[in-house]
Amino acid sequence: MMRLLAGLLMALAFAGAAAAQPVDTGHLTAELVPQARGIAPGQTIYVALRQKIDKGWHTYWKNPGDSGEPTQIKWTLPPGFTAGDIVWPAPHKQPIGPLMNYGYSDEVVLPVPVTAPADATPGQTVTLKAAASFLVCADVCVPEDAVLQISLPVSAGPVGADPQGGRAIDKALAQAPKRAALQAAFQQRGPALQLAVTGAPLKAANFVDAYFFPYSATVIDHAKPQAIEQGTEGLTLTLAPGYDFQNGPGPSELAGVLAVGGQAYEITARQAPLPAAAAGLGPPAAAGGSGAGSSTMSLIPAVLLAFLGGLILNLMPCVFPILAMKAASLAGHAHEAAAARRQGLAFGVGVLATFLILAAVLIALQQAGQAVGWGFQLQSPAVVAGLGLLMLLVALNLSGVFEIGTSLQGAGGTLATRSGLAGAFFTGALAVVVAAPCTAPFMGPAIGWALTQTEPAALAVFTALGLGFALPFVLVAFVPAFIGRLPKPGPWMDIFKKALAFPMYGAAAWLLWVVAQQADAAFLARVLAAAILVAAAAWIGGAAQRGHAMGRRHVPQAALAAGIGAVAVAAAFWPVSAPHVEAEPYSAERLAALQSEGRPVFVNYTAAWCVSCQVNERVALSTKGTAQAFKRYNVAYLKADWTKKDDVIAADLARFGRAGVPLYLVYPGGGGDYAILPNLLTEASVVKAVEAAAKGSR
Amino acid sequence: MTSLAYTRRAALVLGVAGLAIAAAPAQAAPAVGQPAPAFQAVDFNGKTRSLAEFRGKTVVLEWTNNGCPYVQKHYNSGNMQSLQKQATAEGVVWLTIISSAPETQGYLTGPQAKAWKTKAGAASTTVLLDPTGKVGRAYDARTTPHMYVIDKAGKLVYMGGIDDKPTANPESLKDAKNYVKAALSDVKAGRSVAVATSRPYGCSVKYAQSVAD
Repeated sequence: MMRLLAGLLMALAFAGAAAAQPVDTGHLTAELVPQARGIAPGQTIYVALRQKIDKGWHTYWKNPGDSGEPTQIKWTLPPGFTAGDIVWPAPHKQPIGPLMNYGYSDEVVLPVPVTAPADATPGQTVTLKAAASFLVCADVCVPEDAVLQISLPVSAGPVGADPQGGRAIDKALAQAPKRAALQAAFQQRGPALQLAVTGAPLKAANFVDAYFFPYSATVIDHAKPQAIEQGTEGLTLTLAPGYDFQNGPGPSELAGVLAVGGQAYEITARQAPLPAAAAGLGPPAAAGGSGAGSSTMSLIPAVLLAFLGGLILNLMPCVFPILAMKAASLAGHAHEAAAARRQGLAFGVGVLATFLILAAVLIALQQAGQAVGWGFQLQSPAVVAGLGLLMLLVALNLSGVFEIGTSLQGAGGTLATRSGLAGAFFTGALAVVVAAPCTAPFMGPAIGWALTQTEPAALAVFTALGLGFALPFVLVAFVPAFIGRLPKPGPWMDIFKKALAFPMYGAAAWLLWVVAQQADAAFLARVLAAAILVAAAAWIGGAAQRGHAMGRRHVPQAALAAGIGAVAVAAAFWPVSAPHVEAEPYSAERLAALQSEGRPVFVNYTAAWCVSCQVNERVALSTKGTAQAFKRYNVAYLKADWTKKDDVIAADLARFGRAGVPLYLVYPGGGGDYAILPNLLTEASVVKAVEAAAKGSR
Repeated sequence: MTSLAYTRRAALVLGVAGLAIAAAPAQAAPAVGQPAPAFQAVDFNGKTRSLAEFRGKTVVLEWTNNGCPYVQKHYNSGNMQSLQKQATAEGVVWLTIISSAPETQGYLTGPQAKAWKTKAGAASTTVLLDPTGKVGRAYDARTTPHMYVIDKAGKLVYMGGIDDKPTANPESLKDAKNYVKAALSDVKAGRSVAVATSRPYGCSVKYAQSVAD
């Protein structure tokens, strides 16, 4: 009986479904197709928007990638009917120039679950209406839309598949990304995000084309290649973090679709330690060496590069003097080859041990600081300025302006000059630490790569670096012929040392140049002032040391040097907590506009090169009292900056009978005459003038 | 042998510094809070302009492509022009940049760009031509429109979409939150920009393909 009724309704459905007409919107043909020929009360069936897309054109996934816009459907449904979200099929990658989009070409079926109310009346025919809008793009984009509808009979019970939509929708649903027994975790490692996914479905999968499509458009940089690392239980993808990670720790979850081996899985990764079984087996065979950039560099080239980098480090100005001196001390043992060899080996062990300790520290730091990302230190102008001052000190030290730690000298001297094995070991360690500042150009890529890898890979890179670094010296120790050719220690070493100061001055200059890019001129000025004070302190300190060496006591000088040094540091880094009085650039129009608002206006004609202007700004205009007064009386603060030639300002100054800056004017709120303030301001005089201007207006 | 001892002390501190340098990322993508990448480009009058010449002023960069429906949403409705007008009246420098390669959508020669600006009634300071995509790539400009705000100190303070309605439908302008407007008023008030990044939306920038990434 039921079946008979259903059959009857089915026949009706055919008549009704004919209302679904495909619509050609220009670059695609859109239509609505139902999964079944009818819908029963309370039943959920799928109705799909099918797009047949012109060749060369495409539409977009729910996250369209770097540009584009996903297809949207607005439903108009009979009372009680509801429609859910689109079940998005896994998208394709659509690289375009330097960008990456995610979407569909040829044909795509976008199923939407539609539920009938329990009280729908069988035998009725309902009309489902969808206003679909979509962006269709080739190299250019066209927004298109279509109003589509289908009529669907309400059947007493579930009925069979629709000849149009049934198979297509079932296929789309079968291929749609699925939740599976997968565990996903991600971590930020240095400049990269690592996403590890493990689980039974991945055990024997082919990872060659594995790709993560995030649901959010801002969590990763879509255009960057995703490096694949295989593990026994899954895989690890190295992703480039997106906008979300730029201003803070980033999201706690990464959700999206993992496409792997022809399957698509819905995954939600939480920030958590990465399972070891998700990595360690290298990139998948066919994908090996694909992609570009250091992010996809594999272990062997990284290790070779590190070894080469280590070799080159021996020639660096930070290192060579130490090695040369140590080698020269070896020369003293030229006649006892065995001792020289032992020293060479001890040196090598010292180098390696230090590199591994540094590696461990780096890995620990990097894991501790992964939320902020490695390298952030150099984004802080204060840190860069500090490094610049440090470089300056080192340079001054090499120039012989002062010496460091006369008391330590003994210990250092013994350690380094003694023929003992400990001495050689510590020379090795010392050489590594000294070499560090010179590592950037050679080790940067290798270290950067290592930090995004597993710990063993990182350690391998550091070991290679150490071996390369230690090799030349160990060779010298083992081949006495080399030792004989080494230059003898002598006065030349002092000249050499002083010459080496200049690369250090260069490094300091470079760092200050970086500061200039990061901070404003005021901060740079403070740092430069600090640099001069540092130099003065070093010189006074050096004088005290020399006096001390001659048996005199020079406590005052030493104290003075320390004092100036402290002042220098304070000058550079003391936070300027000046209550900021926000200034707008001056223009006659702006002044008129503010006056018409009835606000008192303070105009400051100033210039960066005008010292009294700067003093006034510090002592009178940037103070708490002035800020409060400006706020209380709603004073607008205009700054006419004459730092660069400006005819308008020059004409203005002439109008007030001035040939230059400073000039301070206060215009009362209700119009009326301005007051000219004296050239030397105090907080009190500014507050008083502002008060008068405000009262005049009321 | 004294040099060894003092070098050693300095070296210990330097070691940390050096490692920091070594690990710094090699190439800097534009980032909010960082100095905006310097650039030079020719304007529609054939004059070479640079970001440096606007130091001391707030600068807005707007990537455009007059054939792009998303750009048209903002120009046909007058939304972009009114924002430009408001900004430039307050002393903001507004640079409209075209990174479309020749023979791609949105590419304009100098005279064409001038005519387009006049016809559209754009109140931007000038239009810069970037047919090689050099400036666009330096800023990682992805879409048209894609907006950047640079403060008076030359620091990038906003990058992203023009508003929060990623669609070409002009209806969306009614209740859109304009991020550039908000960023400019934050900058003007001396506040830090509340929404400093957002997802840019629109057509892809039609870069020259020859300069492969």
